Amino acid sequence: MKKRTYIYKSFERFWHWSQALLILFLAITGFEIHSSYHLFGFSYAVKMHNIAAWAFLILIIFAIFWHFVTGEWKQYIPTTKFIKEQIDYYITGIFKNAPHPTKKTVYNKFNPLQRLIYLGLKILVIPVQVLTGFAYLYYMYPDSIWHTSGLNYIAVIHTFGAFVLLAFVIAHVYLTTTGNTPTESLYAMLTGWEVIDVDENELRKEHLVKAVENSVAGYYRINKDGVIVDVNKAWLDLYKCNDKSKYIGKHYSVTREKENLKQLEELVHDVFKGNYIHGVFSKRKCCDGSTGQHILSMNPIFSEEELIEAEGFIIDVEHAENESNYLPYLIKNSTAAYYKLDIDGYILEVNDAWLNLYKYKTESEVKGKHFSLFRPDESIKDFQNIFNKLINGETISSAKIARLCKDGSIGYQLVSANPIYHNAKIIGMEGFILPIE
Amino acid sequence: MYSKKNFLKVFFTFMAIITPWVLAIILFGNSNKEKQKEKDAVTKEFKLEHLNYEKPDTIPKVDHSKFKILQQDFKNPQDVTKACLSCHNLTDHDIMNSSHWKWARANVSKNGDTLWYGKKNLINNFCIGLTSNEPRCTSCHIGYGWKDKNFDFTKKENIDCIVCHDQTGTYKKFPTKAGYPVKEKTIFNKKVFLPPNYNLIAQHVGSPKRENCGACHYFGGGGNNVKHGDLSKELTHTTTDVDVHMGTDGANMSCVECHKTEHHKISGQLYSVSSENKDRVSCTQCHTNAPHKEHQLNLHSNKVACQTCHIPEYAKVNPTKMYWDWSKAGKHNPDGSIMVKKDSSGYMIYHTLKGAFKWEKHVKPEYVWFNGKAKHYTLGEKIDTSKIVKLNTLLGSYEDPNAKIIPVKIHRGKQIYDTENEILINPHLFGKDSTSYWKNFDWNKAASVGMKSVNLPYSGKYGFISTEMYWPLNHMVSKSDKALSCTECHSHNGRLKNLNDFYLSGRDQNSIIDWIGIIMIIGALIGVSIHASLRIVKSKKQKNK
Repeated sequence: MKKRTYIYKSFERFWHWSQALLILFLAITGFEIHSSYHLFGFSYAVKMHNIAAWAFLILIIFAIFWHFVTGEWKQYIPTTKFIKEQIDYYITGIFKNAPHPTKKTVYNKFNPLQRLIYLGLKILVIPVQVLTGFAYLYYMYPDSIWHTSGLNYIAVIHTFGAFVLLAFVIAHVYLTTTGNTPTESLYAMLTGWEVIDVDENELRKEHLVKAVENSVAGYYRINKDGVIVDVNKAWLDLYKCNDKSKYIGKHYSVTREKENLKQLEELVHDVFKGNYIHGVFSKRKCCDGSTGQHILSMNPIFSEEELIEAEGFIIDVEHAENESNYLPYLIKNSTAAYYKLDIDGYILEVNDAWLNLYKYKTESEVKGKHFSLFRPDESIKDFQNIFNKLINGETISSAKIARLCKDGSIGYQLVSANPIYHNAKIIGMEGFILPIE
Repeated sequence: MYSKKNFLKVFFTFMAIITPWVLAIILFGNSNKEKQKEKDAVTKEFKLEHLNYEKPDTIPKVDHSKFKILQQDFKNPQDVTKACLSCHNLTDHDIMNSSHWKWARANVSKNGDTLWYGKKNLINNFCIGLTSNEPRCTSCHIGYGWKDKNFDFTKKENIDCIVCHDQTGTYKKFPTKAGYPVKEKTIFNKKVFLPPNYNLIAQHVGSPKRENCGACHYFGGGGNNVKHGDLSKELTHTTTDVDVHMGTDGANMSCVECHKTEHHKISGQLYSVSSENKDRVSCTQCHTNAPHKEHQLNLHSNKVACQTCHIPEYAKVNPTKMYWDWSKAGKHNPDGSIMVKKDSSGYMIYHTLKGAFKWEKHVKPEYVWFNGKAKHYTLGEKIDTSKIVKLNTLLGSYEDPNAKIIPVKIHRGKQIYDTENEILINPHLFGKDSTSYWKNFDWNKAASVGMKSVNLPYSGKYGFISTEMYWPLNHMVSKSDKALSCTECHSHNGRLKNLNDFYLSGRDQNSIIDWIGIIMIIGALIGVSIHASLRIVKSKKQKNK
């Protein structure tokens, strides 16, 4: 998936262009000192070369600091994976309009060839240039502690390094034109923004966090001692409470009447043994003393293979006609299915439970298709109503609706749905589905 | 994809990155130029930082004309000396320990032996050797009567005080009288020599002036500026364009202001005869160790002597002798008279007595490493006849931490040697006897007598061999704006092109690396061009499809 992304930070760009200018300036003055031509005059060239060398050293120190502080140094860890493909791409693929063999993301800005070459510059060519350069500057005479046999080796290595850098600059400038458009990379290095691949896992994680926050399903998390660690807005709403602090840090027993507590204790006990609870009918004690009914799921949270916490969702079933109608089925198989639609009603995303539910095998089979395809004719109108409500900003905590599966069969389900906002504008909808048969 | 607004944004970003660098470089460059201007101005006003230098007090402390003993009617020069020593009664010791008296300096060798090097056992490629030619050579000795090997160096009345201390400018030693002035009017080489008025001179003595030193040091080798190249009679009245220190329009310094003297021990030595790194005169006596505004220039002083850049040329007013070929000597005119040839400016390029010469004016120095020590060819030493014989060798190399590059005049010549014994010959040139070369033009006779006088064998067979003599240049320092620019040395075919034992930026390149580098750059350009054109061609084809 591609997205216009801010990829080069401002310091990174400042560093890159300053380094580019300095390398060119050092090359121009350096080759004058080398007697390759006459331009500024020898003494001016020497003076400027020395000043630029100091500027470069300072820039390098800042750049090293930046790389380590931001963790960007990891971008330069070399890899042999796809290196052959990358070479093949430049030799043959590029002429056949083949796609780039590697994807550019914020976390993987460089292809394996870039990684290797840039790392080579950073840890070999530039350090060698700096060391030989300053040796050239300060150890030009044999009575120094570095009793070398003269400048010969230092100068020759320094000159060779300069040639290598120049050849690199030529290749580097040319290869910037191999993006989607010839100037794309150049603009990216100037503005910082580029259309690049986005890491789907990262994106999903981001959405999941948002989904949990915005979901009408109540979310909660408790630790091993049974103390509530986190709840979302929907959860608080279900408990008719505005104040998070009334529950956070408290034992979960405050959420139940005494007679209902035992059931929950058993469930928690079960989960901390490593089991998953997929939808259990439960009664809650609200903040104001009233009670409510909901379906509860709970799963353990592992950190480094150690079970540390438990979390789950609750979906309100206050308005259900009769709990006994669907309760047994819910207990049987109720992994909450997740879906997401865009503003026009096309499916953007579904999860495995959803696919199971609709009997599809892969997400690609349904992605980009209109929701109406998954509803029996008589039910489309119902869902259209829900959808229209959502587009107007309403949320649906649970609605019974029929679905049309791949094999043509029709099922029924409870749907929760809420709009997705982006910059105060509704751009789609998402929700959870619990099947009822 | 990129609208005009975007383009402007990009443009401004780019400018924001570039501008600070450009400004910094321009500002830095300008401020350096301004500093350069300031420096030039400072130089013009002669405000260089100096250490330990004060214009000496020239008011005499003593009026010698008031002393009774100096009012006597002196019959001969020794009487003057006696009168001097009657008051300056310890000075004779100082004088008789000086190199001006001994014409030799002690040289302590590695095994601790003290060897004396001087005109008695060293030879040059001008008039070659002292021994057997004394009366001519010793006209420049600060004594009276060194006419042969038997001169008594302990007789203090033979010290010539007034040659150095005469302030009247009338005292002159005669060229061929072993250091004596004339007793009656004599003409030599069309010049008139009058007996000195000792009474007047003795009453007008003082610290040596340029003329006193110059009487000998300008005329070494038998004529003005023959030997040194950077010391000639014009320095007596000169401008700062010729010598920035001695110019009467500038600092107007006398010789002894740099050649500081205590107890008649005059600092400074010339490595045509000296060997040890001591008693030298250096620029840093007055100038600091870091006299330049620019650090880079000050760094140079680790390996480059001040003189190297600040004496861009020598023999600025009159030419100096660069080549002397003794093998050509002895040719006469058809009528049997002495043959003399002169060049268009009147400088002698041939003389029957001496051979052929070359003169040069405004000479660019040659450059060598020098650590303050020198080796000499001593009489009797075997020579390698396959090579040019170096009569003195200035020691040092790039690897030597004490060595610096100095400018030198190299005097080249051809001179007589014993082809059997393979030693240089000390010929008997001067004298009215039956063996001297200048009377008889017979090298065999001159060689056998000359060699006998220094107790060395002569096989009877002689030849001529090329020799070189190295004369470090220290005078005729130019104004700072005439100092060498970087590229005089830092370039191909620069002044240091023959000093090849080190890497000099701008002069030296490793041709292999340069070729590899150029091929790399051209390869990259060609590769990129081919790749780019292929891409363009292919994408056009695809569009057409």
